[in-house]
Amino acid sequence: MPRDMQAEDLAAASDEVVLARYAAGDPVAARVLTLRLVPRALGYAGRLLGDAAEAEDVTQEAMLRLWRAAPGWRAGEAQVSTWLYRVVTNLCTDRLRARRRRPAAALDEAPEVPDGARGAEAGMIEADRLGALQAALAALPERQRQAVVLRHIEGLGNPEIAAVMDIGVEAVESLTARAKRALTAILSGRREELGYDGEE
Amino acid sequence: MTARNDGMTRKDGGAAEGGLDDLFAAARAATPAPSEALMAQVLADALAEQPRAAAVPASPPVFAPVRRPGRALWARLVWALGGAGALAGMGTAAAAGLYIGFAQPSGLAGLDEAMLGAPLETVELIPGVDAFLSGN
Repeated sequence: MPRDMQAEDLAAASDEVVLARYAAGDPVAARVLTLRLVPRALGYAGRLLGDAAEAEDVTQEAMLRLWRAAPGWRAGEAQVSTWLYRVVTNLCTDRLRARRRRPAAALDEAPEVPDGARGAEAGMIEADRLGALQAALAALPERQRQAVVLRHIEGLGNPEIAAVMDIGVEAVESLTARAKRALTAILSGRREELGYDGEE
Repeated sequence: MTARNDGMTRKDGGAAEGGLDDLFAAARAATPAPSEALMAQVLADALAEQPRAAAVPASPPVFAPVRRPGRALWARLVWALGGAGALAGMGTAAAAGLYIGFAQPSGLAGLDEAMLGAPLETVELIPGVDAFLSGN
């Protein structure tokens, strides 16, 4: 009974409190943080990289760095989620640079859509649209992609994005605005493919 | 934000911008869940990296037996003297000695005369100590 109470308390506690419990040797805290943070880190890394396997590698590495940083974590200095997003951002940047150095880098990283499936079912149309969004994100400059994903898909506020990207709030606003304009331009050029015509 | 009532259709550029928010929402909803293998690996890393020195007690302190220092000292003393049986034997011997000293049973009164040839008034446990203390 006391152990269940402990797990419930941890599930309701902030990331910082749970991380402190982890550092104090509580194995329940490790589980709570894993369940809480891995989906967010993986989703974000996947949007930046457009590659599920690489996103898993980045997530595991970022979480490993969190575990190692836990004993020296100073309360109030940084939010755990902000710190993690920053680490994932940096790891993804490294991977994208390494990818650019490779000679046969793929220009079109959008997932392939099966022939004949387009427009057949709403589910397939949705997958098609999401694939187009991912391709459009991949076409953005890296900082714009980071900002727009953090703002509109991860749902972070501008001050937190500023902390993640180590820039000012105005710079964040500028990046997200430019990213949305670029995405709109890219996607409107492809709207025939996106199934918008048949949706009205 | 997503609804535009200005007569534009989705074929227009402005409609595509409006649809962007829908697309973001759809992307949020479609974010893939982590695989079990990834979760297991991350958790294994967590437990491997977890500090051991300050590990929490395996059982809550409430259920730990209360140890009073007095009891611990008594238990150590009993153990040092050879256990409860040996202690009972020592207690019996001490009680018997006390009884003999006070009651002086008649059988014992004649024993010293029979063995030593004279009544025993005093016993010198260390015979040379009186001479040593008096300087002779």
